Amino acid sequence: MAEARDLFKEFKVQSVSEFFRRNAAMLGYTGKIRSLTTIIHEAVTNSLDACEEAGILPYIRVEIEELGKEHYKVIVEDNGPGIPEEYIPHVFGKMLAGTKAHRNIQSRGQQGIGISGAVMFAQITSGKATRVITSTGGEIVEAWVKIDVQKNEGKIVKKLKHPNPKGWRGTRIELEVKDVKYVRSKQGVYWYLKLTAIANPHAHIELVEPDGKLVVFPRSSEDIPEPPVEMKPHPKGVMVDDVYTMAHRSKRSSVRRFLVSEFSRISDKKVDELIKYITALRLIKSETNKEVKEKLYEKLVSGDVDSVLRAFGRKWKKELEKVAKIMDKSPEKLTWHEAEEIVEAFKLMKFLAPPTHGLRPIGEENIKKGLTSILKPEFVTAVTRAPRVYAGGIPFQVEVGLAYGGQIQGSEILRYANRVPLLFDAGSCVITSAVRSIDWKRYKIDSFDSAPLVVLVNVVSVHVPYTSTGKQSIADIDEIHNEIRLALMDAARRLSFYLGGKFRRMYQVKRRKTLEKYLPEIARSLHILTGEPEEKIKEYFLKLIESKIEVEEVSEVEAEEAEA
Amino acid sequence: MKLKRQKPKEKFSYDPQKVLKKLEDLAWKILEEVKSGKNPYFDVPTRGLNNVYFDEEARLIKLGDKLSRRYFLNVAHARKFTQTLILMAYIKRLVSEGKHASLREAYYANKHTIPGTRENTFEDQSESDPIIEDLERMLGVLREEMHITADRRGYIYGDIVIKDGEDEFNASKLGTGGWAVPGTVEHIQFPEVNVDYVLVVETAAMADRLIEEKYPKKENCLIVATQGQASRGVRRLIHRLHYEEGLPIIVFTDGDPYGWYIYSTIKQGSINLAYLSEKLATPDAKFVGMTMDDIKEYNLEHVTEKLKGIPPDKKGGPTGDYKRLIEELNYPWFQNKEWQRQLKLALKWGVRIEQQALANKSLEFVAKEYLPEKIREGKLLP
Repeated sequence: MAEARDLFKEFKVQSVSEFFRRNAAMLGYTGKIRSLTTIIHEAVTNSLDACEEAGILPYIRVEIEELGKEHYKVIVEDNGPGIPEEYIPHVFGKMLAGTKAHRNIQSRGQQGIGISGAVMFAQITSGKATRVITSTGGEIVEAWVKIDVQKNEGKIVKKLKHPNPKGWRGTRIELEVKDVKYVRSKQGVYWYLKLTAIANPHAHIELVEPDGKLVVFPRSSEDIPEPPVEMKPHPKGVMVDDVYTMAHRSKRSSVRRFLVSEFSRISDKKVDELIKYITALRLIKSETNKEVKEKLYEKLVSGDVDSVLRAFGRKWKKELEKVAKIMDKSPEKLTWHEAEEIVEAFKLMKFLAPPTHGLRPIGEENIKKGLTSILKPEFVTAVTRAPRVYAGGIPFQVEVGLAYGGQIQGSEILRYANRVPLLFDAGSCVITSAVRSIDWKRYKIDSFDSAPLVVLVNVVSVHVPYTSTGKQSIADIDEIHNEIRLALMDAARRLSFYLGGKFRRMYQVKRRKTLEKYLPEIARSLHILTGEPEEKIKEYFLKLIESKIEVEEVSEVEAEEAEA
Repeated sequence: MKLKRQKPKEKFSYDPQKVLKKLEDLAWKILEEVKSGKNPYFDVPTRGLNNVYFDEEARLIKLGDKLSRRYFLNVAHARKFTQTLILMAYIKRLVSEGKHASLREAYYANKHTIPGTRENTFEDQSESDPIIEDLERMLGVLREEMHITADRRGYIYGDIVIKDGEDEFNASKLGTGGWAVPGTVEHIQFPEVNVDYVLVVETAAMADRLIEEKYPKKENCLIVATQGQASRGVRRLIHRLHYEEGLPIIVFTDGDPYGWYIYSTIKQGSINLAYLSEKLATPDAKFVGMTMDDIKEYNLEHVTEKLKGIPPDKKGGPTGDYKRLIEELNYPWFQNKEWQRQLKLALKWGVRIEQQALANKSLEFVAKEYLPEKIREGKLLP
């Protein structure tokens, strides 16, 4: 088996642009509409991340100018911390594809290629360099960046410096792209920014469309989200190449120390257990009797590693010593095969659930703010579930928001992974199937498809299980499906409660109106029959209606929900 | 048997003031309820078959005691509640002004758009008619007493003096057409009654025949032509002639299920108007013909007609005449051997016999032989 490192070397020698072309789909550059959305996505994501890290409330302005047929100039400007001059080539030029450096951090991107992909796309389609104007508060740097495909590096082709008397800080990038198309569809830039604004209520986002129309998604929250923290990987969530690469990059003295300090939930005791498991696995594999082999493996799965070892008599101690030696050698020397053995044993062992402090949900309050300010509904509610684990060790968290009525027309499912809107492949996404699996009738929504109801679902994880490399739909994993359902049912109950109260109030108001409209007729008739003055009769009836039909006050829970 | 006028059992009872008082009392009940903060309501006796029964003693179809309560504060009732008050007010005006209106006039007079809405007080007559019926039941007052007139049909001929408002005349001096019975007979009075009994005749043709043959004069009776099913006015008139003037009532119809049904309605009242039986029905009425036995008795076999519809033993039956016949067989007031015999014969033979079939003998036969003979010999059905 070829080692990963060799594969990586091979990858490096091939042309970056060729790699880009080959992997266009994985990087999000397929289709004319989607390519433009991806460029905006990369730039906006960079801006949001930068502001988050610097603790700045983001102000992002996107402008799209039509230069010709399928030929546009894209401008994205932010009020972020700015980019120091010497980092410009690195930020805009380095193709990070292939490395998994940020694997265990919850990030918006996860594409691994980021804004450099956009620079590359511009370069390939229009041949033009990307113009970057940035300042960290001092001088304003204006630079034209291209990617040196040979060196896999950014290259500044032209640079100007300007004084900055007003102390402007931020970054503005301008890309000229061809073979893209601006359409106001559900896969286009407008929709993408709208959804981004909902999930990022702390950001002010503006869009100038090609026809000059300005669209503003105003900020509705003053809370800057905390930047995500890197989390040590959990043994249940790693693959062979993760262990292998991490070990080789590690500066620890031994494999044992490497495992204990670079993974979560692994202690010295667990390493001892790991040794036993690896030994047991080796011995089982050496067994020739198929029946015995299967029986022993079953025993191991059930957790009784000691009795498995004892079954091999004296043999096992010798083997155990051999395995123990692996743990004592330098992690650099860990072989691919040994990494495989470790991961196989991890799968059978029991570990504490991984820590979840690194997950950064939007939060119930912020979801409500985002939905309220962008969609202007009459009712909104949100549920953020406690973190859970899927595949035995990957932490994730689900949150949902429901917005009903008001200016909303028709139903919509807004899908997010780590706050990033998912615009494509809705049909294969676990969010879609979970939302569809809810019996909405039970929650006073007669028909989901025609209800004025927007359902927001955000799946938060350091490792979102996408169905494909396009990263636009989340795999149907039972644990995630169930969490989404539970969150939706919780939120839907609140919606149903609100609707119940609303219908009740509407009924009472209607009832009053129905009765009151007859009063002139009744008063006139009773006047003829009894001689009492009409006005007095009317008064008596009005008093009766008022005393018998109270329009109930909105209960506290509902008021709280409605004002959010 | 000689038919003679008997002692009256009821007196002329029409008094507009009574009706007005009933309307006003009901209105005050509503108003007082509202004043004391209660949800006002009307108690309306339920319509329909399940609130109707046959009173064996009074020999009348009567209304049961089932009530439905119509509340103002109930959204489903409020409209009818309002409509009831509107019509009550209208009736009060009619009665106090001494005017009469037909059902249709009552509908048009009260139809208008409710101020501030696009809703009409009454959308069509099918909304106002039932409310008037409800009022009859609620107040125990005929709509004729409330000056809402019924369809007029039928006429009378015979030696009685009628006082209708300011007019006074003898019903045997108005020519052969007699006196047409008005929709409302409540106010009619009879200053002079010179007849011994009333002969109620189903068809106008037969009534005209009897008048031409001077039957009323010779037999000293009053002819009442119902012209089919007896109208409310005619039924009320028959009732009053019997109870207020002591006149025996003899009914003469076609010998078929429909004719017998007409008799049944005059005698016991109808299911639809069960609440009015005590004012409309005349349980003492007797039936002279036609009967199935008449066919044999007078050799009329060749002038019978087949019953219409499908007999009960045939596929799809019973329908038409047969269906009505089966129903009549089950009427409580037809549970006597005379009627069971006639009805069963009709079912067995599958034939009907019209009054006019008697003309087959001769034009005078009915007036000179059939009726006088049967009545004299007391060949009457109960």
